[in-house]
Amino acid sequence: MKKKLILLSVVCMVILAFRAANDSGIKVPANFPKPVYDFSKNPLTPDKVLLGRALFYDPILSRNNQISCSSCHSQFSAFTHVDHALSHGIEDKIGTRNSPALMNLAWQKVFMWDGAVNHLDVQALAPMSNPLEMDENLANVVSKLQATKLYPKLFLNAFGDSVITGEHTLKAISQFMLSLVSSNSKYDSVMRKQAAFNDQEQNGYTLFKKNCASCHKEPLFTNDEFKNNGLPLDTTLNDYGRFGITKNPLDSFKFKVPTLRNIEFSYPYMHDGRFKKLSQVLNHYTAEIHQSQTLSPELHKPIVLTSNEKVDIIAFLLTLSDKSFLFNPQYFYPKEIFSKAAKD
Amino acid sequence: MKNSRTICLLIFIGFCQVALLHAQTIRLSFIPKYGDKAMLLSDSAFKANDSTDLEIAELKFYVSNMQLLKNGEVVFTEGNSFHLLDAKQAQTLQLSMDTKQPITFDELKFDLGIDSSSNVSGAMGGDLDPTKGMYWTWQSGYINFKLEGRSKHCETRNKEYQFHLGGYQSPNSCLQTLRFQVDNPNRIALILNVKAILDKLDLAKTNHIMSPCTEAVMLSQMVANAFKVSKN
Ligand code: HEC
Ligand code: HEC
Repeated sequence: MKKKLILLSVVCMVILAFRAANDSGIKVPANFPKPVYDFSKNPLTPDKVLLGRALFYDPILSRNNQISCSSCHSQFSAFTHVDHALSHGIEDKIGTRNSPALMNLAWQKVFMWDGAVNHLDVQALAPMSNPLEMDENLANVVSKLQATKLYPKLFLNAFGDSVITGEHTLKAISQFMLSLVSSNSKYDSVMRKQAAFNDQEQNGYTLFKKNCASCHKEPLFTNDEFKNNGLPLDTTLNDYGRFGITKNPLDSFKFKVPTLRNIEFSYPYMHDGRFKKLSQVLNHYTAEIHQSQTLSPELHKPIVLTSNEKVDIIAFLLTLSDKSFLFNPQYFYPKEIFSKAAKD
Repeated sequence: MKNSRTICLLIFIGFCQVALLHAQTIRLSFIPKYGDKAMLLSDSAFKANDSTDLEIAELKFYVSNMQLLKNGEVVFTEGNSFHLLDAKQAQTLQLSMDTKQPITFDELKFDLGIDSSSNVSGAMGGDLDPTKGMYWTWQSGYINFKLEGRSKHCETRNKEYQFHLGGYQSPNSCLQTLRFQVDNPNRIALILNVKAILDKLDLAKTNHIMSPCTEAVMLSQMVANAFKVSKN
């Protein structure tokens, strides 16, 4: 009898575990919290993710049909614009900010360096309409998509309706972005007790927890808050960060704390891409903190690190690289779809 | 067999009739005016006066969360109540609400704009689809009310004025709740007098509001005050 009960409860638990996975739409890594994104309003399906992937890679989203999301967010650099301090958009126009790496967006509450965007679904509107990025508008994109041979079919498969709407376009793009989950770094293996840090990485991890983790909080390596981390104002850009949205002086120079996952590949760093190397970032935190009214209290006293300790922190940061993410074929340019469409 | 089917059908039709008898349709029309003049917009701008120094080219706004009240108590709440009204598209200015049962009411209540929870719910469809041109792009949020045109008083490009009112976060929340006593309940006509708004503005100074801010809140209140029940 007892055995049966145990068996029953195990079965129940398994069913519940699957339920949870189904409700969320993505597999939640064991060491991750519950996603923020409300999947009940946009449940993931393979057809919708695929449609979103096609849209993400398709320059039809821009006015001159030349710039796609992937122009500024390429997979091998964790979906940032590698080597570009400020992103380049349509007709080589230069934007005002560094393109952030895209991953684990289902756990993020607000988007953009200043939190201008409040929901992942409406994120794509910003680059599409920005005159320096894609310079298009959603209504136009919808009519361009409707006029293709390819997309009415893809929308039919995904949403059961070949009439394309703005809502469906945005939700599909969201679905692809939600599928970008990076959780297979060496750090994750260590946390799941499947691997161990070497001494240097372990020391770096200890120092990281002491000096950095209050903002770059595990396991996502961001606390999703806005902080001033002591960067002096670049007077050619005059970017006041969060202040631009809230108009509250207490938000001046605050920017969204970025994730540090795959940081090895997402250089250059900071909202304006001012640092090319991680060693420069560490020198910033130890020696170049610019004091100001809104500087985060943690940074009022300088962080003291020897040069060996800096190297150790960097060694730890490199354990956040996730090759299975950077080279996941599910995120590649969807050749199959586009070459088939070209033949039709 | 055949008989029982016929009987079922008859009963069904009977039910439908009863339902129809009990349903009630309330028609609500919005009438944009400039003072006494009807103000329907088309591709060419509405000229407020002959010397063409004031033109209105665009007037679009959301009304939402429609409710009917009797003695201050809600007797009907419209489901999925979001309507985009566009002075260029006459049919959008006519709303109708079907109640399941006959009701009596003496007050109409609705919001001018989109509530804050819908503003943070991601992409939505129908009148809320961001293709409708009433969603900000660089920053999330619906534009509740849009009024655009030209005036000789504006020292701007093409002498244009542009008011895009919206914002769902305090202290710059622009949503306005409007209430009207109504005495001819099955047909309600509300006038929006644009002159009442523009007369109060110094267009030389205030001609460009494009993001959530204190001015947007003030102007939203002025817009709310420019609605009146039509007496005829
Ligand atoms: C011209 C370059 C460019 C293009 C094209 C572009 N982006 Fe971006 N993206 C950026 C920049 C720059 C930012 C940061 C902007 C800011 O903070 O103001 C950004 C931010 C984002 C973010 C927010 C990430 C975060 O962590 O807050 C997402 C999501 C995103 N882009 C998705 C997309 C999608 C989807 C497309 C295609 C519809 C796209 N981007 C097209 C440059 C670009
Ligand atoms: C007070 C909060 C805070 C602390 C503590 C902090 N950071 Fe940051 N970090 C930030 C913010 C905010 C940014 C983005 C700033 C910007 O671009 O304006 C950032 C950016 C970074 C970046 C660039 C990421 C990118 O994608 O561009 C790296 C790398 C980084 N921090 C590493 C560290 C390390 C290592 C430590 C500890 C020595 C640390 N941070 C401590 C808040 C913090």
